[in-house]
Amino acid sequence: MTGGPLIVQSDKTLLLEIDHPDAQACRMAIAPFAELERSPEHVHTYRLTPLGLWNARAAGHDAEGVVDALIKYSRYPVPHALLVDVAETMDRYGRLQLANDPANGLVLRALDRVVLVEVAKSKKLAGMLGAKLDDDTIAVHPSERGRLKQALLKLGWPAEDLAGYVDGEAHPIELAQAGRDGGKPWTLRSYQREAVEAFWAGGSGVVVLPCGAGKTLVGAAAMAEAKATTLILVTNTVAGRQWKRELIARTSLTEEEIGEYSGERKEIRPVTIATYQVLTSRRGGAFTHLDLFGARDWGLVVYDEVHLLPAPIFRFTADLQARRRLGLTATLVREDGREGDVFSLIGPKRYDAPWKDIESQGWIAPAQCTEVRVTLTDAERMSYATAEAEERYRMAATARTKLPVIRALVDRHPNEQTLVIGAYIDQLHQLGEYLNAPIVQGSTTNKERERLFDAFRSGEIRTLVISKVGNFSIDLPEAAVAIQVSGTFGSRQEEAQRLGRVLRPKADGRQAHFYTVVSRDTIDTEYAAHRQRFLAEQGYAYTIVDADDVLGPTLPSFD
Amino acid sequence: MSTSLADQLRSLPDESLAALLQLRPDLVVPVPTDVAALAIRAQSRVSVSRALDGLDQFTLQIMDAARLTRDPADGTTSVDGVLALATAGPHPPAPTSVRAAVDRLRARFLLYGPDHRLQLVGGVDEISPYPAGLGRPAAELDPRTAALCADPAKLRRTLLAAPPSARAILDRLAAGPPVGSVPPGALRAPATGADDELPPDETNGGAPTGSPVRWLVDHRLLVRVAGGKGGSSGMVELPREIGLLLRRDTGPLGPLSASPPAVTSTPREPKAVDSAGAGQTMEVVRHTEALLEQLAAEPAPVLRSGGLGVRDLRRLARFTGLDEPTAALLLEVAYAAGLTGEVELPGSTGRYGADQQVLPTGGYELWRAGSLAQRWEQLARAWLTMTRQVGLVGQRDDRDRPITVLSAEAERAGAPAARRAVLAVLAELEPAAAPTAEEVLALLDWQAPRRSRGRETAHREVLAEAATLGVTGLGALTSYGRLLLVEATTTEDRDNDDPLGVRADGAGGTAVRALDALLPAPVDHFLLQADLTVVVPGPPEPALAAELDVVAEPESAGGASVYRVTALSVRRALDAGYSADDLHGLFRRRSRTPVPQGLTYVIDDVARKHGGLRVGSAGAYLRSDDEALLAELLADRRVEELALRRLAPTVLVTPYQTGRLLAVLREAGYVPVAEDATGTAVLTRAKVRRAPARVSAATRTIDPLTAPRLPLPRLLGVVEQIRRGDAAARAARRAPAAVRGAAPAGPVAVPSHSDALAVLQQAVRDKALVWVGYVDAHGATASRLVRPVSLGAGYLRAEDERTEMLHTFALHRITAAVLEK
Repeated sequence: MTGGPLIVQSDKTLLLEIDHPDAQACRMAIAPFAELERSPEHVHTYRLTPLGLWNARAAGHDAEGVVDALIKYSRYPVPHALLVDVAETMDRYGRLQLANDPANGLVLRALDRVVLVEVAKSKKLAGMLGAKLDDDTIAVHPSERGRLKQALLKLGWPAEDLAGYVDGEAHPIELAQAGRDGGKPWTLRSYQREAVEAFWAGGSGVVVLPCGAGKTLVGAAAMAEAKATTLILVTNTVAGRQWKRELIARTSLTEEEIGEYSGERKEIRPVTIATYQVLTSRRGGAFTHLDLFGARDWGLVVYDEVHLLPAPIFRFTADLQARRRLGLTATLVREDGREGDVFSLIGPKRYDAPWKDIESQGWIAPAQCTEVRVTLTDAERMSYATAEAEERYRMAATARTKLPVIRALVDRHPNEQTLVIGAYIDQLHQLGEYLNAPIVQGSTTNKERERLFDAFRSGEIRTLVISKVGNFSIDLPEAAVAIQVSGTFGSRQEEAQRLGRVLRPKADGRQAHFYTVVSRDTIDTEYAAHRQRFLAEQGYAYTIVDADDVLGPTLPSFD
Repeated sequence: MSTSLADQLRSLPDESLAALLQLRPDLVVPVPTDVAALAIRAQSRVSVSRALDGLDQFTLQIMDAARLTRDPADGTTSVDGVLALATAGPHPPAPTSVRAAVDRLRARFLLYGPDHRLQLVGGVDEISPYPAGLGRPAAELDPRTAALCADPAKLRRTLLAAPPSARAILDRLAAGPPVGSVPPGALRAPATGADDELPPDETNGGAPTGSPVRWLVDHRLLVRVAGGKGGSSGMVELPREIGLLLRRDTGPLGPLSASPPAVTSTPREPKAVDSAGAGQTMEVVRHTEALLEQLAAEPAPVLRSGGLGVRDLRRLARFTGLDEPTAALLLEVAYAAGLTGEVELPGSTGRYGADQQVLPTGGYELWRAGSLAQRWEQLARAWLTMTRQVGLVGQRDDRDRPITVLSAEAERAGAPAARRAVLAVLAELEPAAAPTAEEVLALLDWQAPRRSRGRETAHREVLAEAATLGVTGLGALTSYGRLLLVEATTTEDRDNDDPLGVRADGAGGTAVRALDALLPAPVDHFLLQADLTVVVPGPPEPALAAELDVVAEPESAGGASVYRVTALSVRRALDAGYSADDLHGLFRRRSRTPVPQGLTYVIDDVARKHGGLRVGSAGAYLRSDDEALLAELLADRRVEELALRRLAPTVLVTPYQTGRLLAVLREAGYVPVAEDATGTAVLTRAKVRRAPARVSAATRTIDPLTAPRLPLPRLLGVVEQIRRGDAAARAARRAPAAVRGAAPAGPVAVPSHSDALAVLQQAVRDKALVWVGYVDAHGATASRLVRPVSLGAGYLRAEDERTEMLHTFALHRITAAVLEK
């Protein structure tokens, strides 16, 4: 018994007690191979997954080291069976390699002949493998590089991709750290630099950083490293413009060098920003904008918000395996569970930082999360009780009783920029009227959106009501208060995104507030519980209060 | 010879005789009457075989040397002769070790007599016909081969001339055993013209004509001998002389190794071994508990053929997250440790006996109360001694049926011995030595080749099971595993020396204490977090575990336990009798970290709603829109007996049934109306009670008192029946005395049986009537006048004219037969 900070569970989770003096050292030791699953305030949970172990293996860690780290930091004896399992799992990575053979092009090479025989017999690989060149080598068609990696991962024999990358069409890009057009000089933050270095060493992969931690800058720095034409894939047009603004401000790129490829404009320039939506739009069952991927010899493809990557993009990405790929995201958790595809197609996770760590470094505004429970009126309860099952959530979420509570919350922070976020348009209109605030929704034109956001930034508008469009990638730097009224059922990812809206660092470092207004004793509460769990696991303490506490006269406070 | 062994034994001092009996304990079961009987038993095949089973490879080889050096004339040998033969090879063992081996054999009286006139115990040759894997001398086999062997130069030439495929066969036979079966057709003469030419293929896979075996037989290097299974065309044997010649490189006894094979694997860090093992013990105990809990929640039915069904095993394994072999092992161990048992399902007794279920026993409760180390020790001890080979589970038996957990098919009496043997091998190595499975098997094979042969699979399974149970860690025996092994063996010895258990210490053994020191101490607190998880950073104290089981859902287990508090679990706690304050108190008291506000809120919120819906049972209800009327009823003393209770201003309930409620109310002067489940009034009309319908007496036709009238044909039938009975009685009286049962038995009975056969044969030919006396199935003697029809296959078939039936008599039951005069 070493009395270490780590407890190894038999379901392959690792519990790290963070108040332990060795906790920091232990975190460094296990971070390469274990994935952080939850980071509440006292005990962080890491998980040993085959993906994580293979990630570590890809980064050059061996099984012996992993076992040593587990034994060294473990408080209690580690079961023999688990150690054996770790070693065996890690041993599976890299038995097969994808490599470039000077004579035969792309080949699958085996360090263990038996594995190659086993794999070659598999039906899942039928058609991907070509002729057998010798006992240890099988030719692979270059177009199958991605699909083969996907299939091998599913078989449990992930291949090491050593086939390298094309450099792409060179294009000079520099970071403008000195400040541009009279801007202030700036530098990359340490974790951003580490993220870029880790990515560049690996060739392709995913960088996980919380909202507001400057993912765009990581992308820009990666572009400056690549110095090549770049395709940037983003969730929507507004986010694309954000990228463009940021790139012009922070790099040597000019407005003319950056193209927008969206529903409105179809520009292809050395740096092109395209939306997922336009790429996945179909006409007559065929994807019409696939040519974009071949339009230039891209040296780097950047995927913004990887966790939202639509399924068709995975298919396109399977064909882009020879290009460097950078994924940026706040979370690897995908509601559809396709983490394995992200691993095999975009690449292993290259950098990850727990939110709380970054917050304690002062890059994110600290946030206070509060759930306000509203008791419905008897009439509302009756209509809720008799409603159809599919109408219930809508009914509970859009209860009128919430309105006064929302106003009370807005009034609580008279000097703060406040966002009210909801999912139902009717309710948003009600709110807009009730709070006398403008609304941004799906049908709002981009021009109008820009105008409203600018006004919000400048402080002209203090309260803004936004629909689900606000979930993704809009930059509202000075929003200090977010009130969410209704959401997409229990989506954890949405919760994280919305919290991200208020987490941008504030000029004066003051605290951000995140309120969720839910109807008591309804399905609304259950969904809220599901969503908040994600945040609690990220270490944000949730306070639950009754609406009466918000509405009632403020209690006398004692200092 | 036997007398001389008896003489030898007789002349021994008591201590030496006792030493022999200790070495060969089977000699005293049952206790022989005298030394002569002991000597006979000591030479019996069974006893000698047992004595040989316990010997290591080297000693057995020296034994073979003694057999080979026997003087053909009087069957004696000498120590010097054995020594000479044993050290004849190119790598001779030390003479001292040879002498030590001879002494071991003499101590067991497998060899006896003075040094220069050593005698071998009888029975050895029966057990293994080929000493040292060498065939019989050529002289015993075939004179022509003997002639060849007598001419060394020619023999050598013939050997050198052997083609490679034939030489390969020779080498294999020379290594022993010296006999081999011959494939069908291999010895048949080749097709014309092929002569003795060998076919060019040297793999021996070609046509049977001209096979290397035939070449060898033709050249007198192999001798055909009788035997072999059906299909093969006999066996061939390599004569001893040729075998010895072929063993020039290894020595006449084959490769000799006086010491066990060495272990070359690098030893582990002892601390790491103990740590890995201890981790495994925690897992085993936890998994066993989870399995048994699941078994308690959903008992598994016992199959008619015994054991638990494959599906039940799969279910249990899936629930506990184990693979099936491990789940099977733990179930078997738990059963052996008495933690589970069968229960007969009440009321299920059917044609095949009662249905049974496997459930945790009362012993399980005791087990659960013990410390981790004690619980593990109970399991490990049960494993050491259980006569089950769990590796068989999942395989198929002789009738191709799957072998199931806890079924009789997995019972193997040799399993404990196999475990002891394997663990003893590990224990004899230096601490933390981690030999590979192959090395362990090689060691076992050297230590007791006769015993370990054919048990390789079982031994491998033991190694795997020991790792699973945490007896070994990282492939090496753990320190506490070593202690357990010592304890388990000494307990047995102690039980023998100390039948009353006077010296038993009672408390947990040293193994438990050693393991306790390695295992984490139980903790009595937890850490509460904002995501409502509860982390117990170590094995929880039983009290804490019991509390958490009620108030939270387990999420992950292992070194620590993680629970999550949910609204559902809080409700369950409230159901179990906790109040909101109790829960707040529990979390405050046990938590090392501040209680998150969310948790406090959840508890209060659930407690507020708890009991909002009430469920109860009632016999009948009484409702009325007139609240005043119900109030009056409630106050009415005449209906007090109904124990009415007001649920709502317009509803009363009573525990009594509708009928009684109606009757009492009506009696009291109220006018209630019954209603059915849909609320409509049920109309009632007075109903008269009636007994079930019966038939009128008038329909009867016969007066029971008058005598039955008998029609004539029936009467005649009766008379005939009586007459026939009479005739039978007379006939019986006519039966000759010889066939009557009363005939005096004695020496005459024996000839009478063979006489009877003669009489019967004659009667069959003459178609004459015969009196047959026989013993029937109940042992009674009887006689019958019959006309025999046939005689054969042990049966007499004969016609009884009186009853007009054909009877069959078993000949061995016939005592006498006399012709009707």
